[in-house]
Amino acid sequence: MEENGSHERNAGIDVRASPQELGEGLVTLLPRLRRFARALTRDAHDADDLVQIAVERALTRAGQLRPDAPLSSWMFGIVRNAWLDELRARGRRARLFAPAESGEQVGDASQGAHADLLAVQDALARLPEEQRAAVALVLIEGLSYKEAAYIMEVPIGTLTSRLARGREALQEMLGETSGALP
Amino acid sequence: MNFSDETVMAYADGELDAATRAALEAAMALDAQLAQRVARHRALRGRLRAALDPVLDEPLPERLLASVRGAPAPPHAADVIALKRKAVPRWSWPQWGAIAASLVGGALLGPLLLRAPADGALVSRDGQVPASGALARALTGQLASSQPPGAPVQIGVSFRAGNGDYCRTFVLRGTSALAGLACRGQEAWRLEVLAQNPAQPAAAAGYRPAGSALPTSVARTLDELIAGEPLDAGAEAAARERGWQPITRGKTPPGAPAPPGPPRDPDH
Repeated sequence: MEENGSHERNAGIDVRASPQELGEGLVTLLPRLRRFARALTRDAHDADDLVQIAVERALTRAGQLRPDAPLSSWMFGIVRNAWLDELRARGRRARLFAPAESGEQVGDASQGAHADLLAVQDALARLPEEQRAAVALVLIEGLSYKEAAYIMEVPIGTLTSRLARGREALQEMLGETSGALP
Repeated sequence: MNFSDETVMAYADGELDAATRAALEAAMALDAQLAQRVARHRALRGRLRAALDPVLDEPLPERLLASVRGAPAPPHAADVIALKRKAVPRWSWPQWGAIAASLVGGALLGPLLLRAPADGALVSRDGQVPASGALARALTGQLASSQPPGAPVQIGVSFRAGNGDYCRTFVLRGTSALAGLACRGQEAWRLEVLAQNPAQPAAAAGYRPAGSALPTSVARTLDELIAGEPLDAGAEAAARERGWQPITRGKTPPGAPAPPGPPRDPDH
């Protein structure tokens, strides 16, 4: 008695949904949006800010949601675009103001899981933005190449080459221990 | 049989078509190195997931749930990073008046204070309130690269606005700090925005405000105004030499025929 579409259980929301249904879909998606944002930004506060901005944008643009596209893809795209906006503004501000930012927040954590999270986030943060997004969408969010390419608005070939380069760089940064950890 | 890196990657990601997948699996059975390449890809995915999956189990912040419901989000603590939409802390009106007046002088801010701040900042975009006194002196004479650490006005950055005017950000020191942005008109500086600076006023002398610590309204105004890159030390000094007057592009030499069209219209 399997019902349809379990593979899209976060996404299979009727996109002509009422505001209330859209809201419910967003609540279901929030954990994944937060994880995605965390992979993009490294900072937990920034990540939640980003998700909040994306949710607000989504609610004001509900009419643009395409009926054939899953809500998750739409939302990942909004999160990413909000992040690109923020990076542009921040890059400008960083050039404008502060040398003080570098080197203050490098991980001093010593607990295992948390330290590994920091190591992974630091490595992700050092990737070029488009590689980071590709890695986050495919490797962390588990999306197909096709979905990830759609979200990033690039051809699949571009997506796979970004993904390959991002992976290579991560493997180098995180070392070969990744498979050999107990 | 050789498999490219992208093919191996696609296999690890479950993206290969059935035929290639079968071929690769057959090869893998005989080729330990190939199997290892696949394992490397999978291990990386596993490590990334292990690091980030715990986020899924975190309790959802109330402000996110509120935003889904379309409710205005409550401001949250540790308001350090200037993502654009964060609220600027509101100050009561008498506080504003007292602080601003004590720092810059009542004469300057008198007209300004008649206007209620929209978002906790004193915006005077339409009002053209001229900056004067200590602030104007610092804006005109002080270079960011060589300002006295204890000066009551600290200059942040200088830049060109889209209309060609020079603008500078500044922080006023005092019992509480104000930060703002002023642009140079033909005869005087005019304040574009003035807001409470969230940075600790007790910070050491010589402290330069990080971009992230600028009041949101100032950062936003800066984002709106700036054209290109900020001035470096050399360009800043050169601009001071010119009295912060814009370099007039295509200025008509005396006697030459006037160019068609409105004189201030940029031609690109």
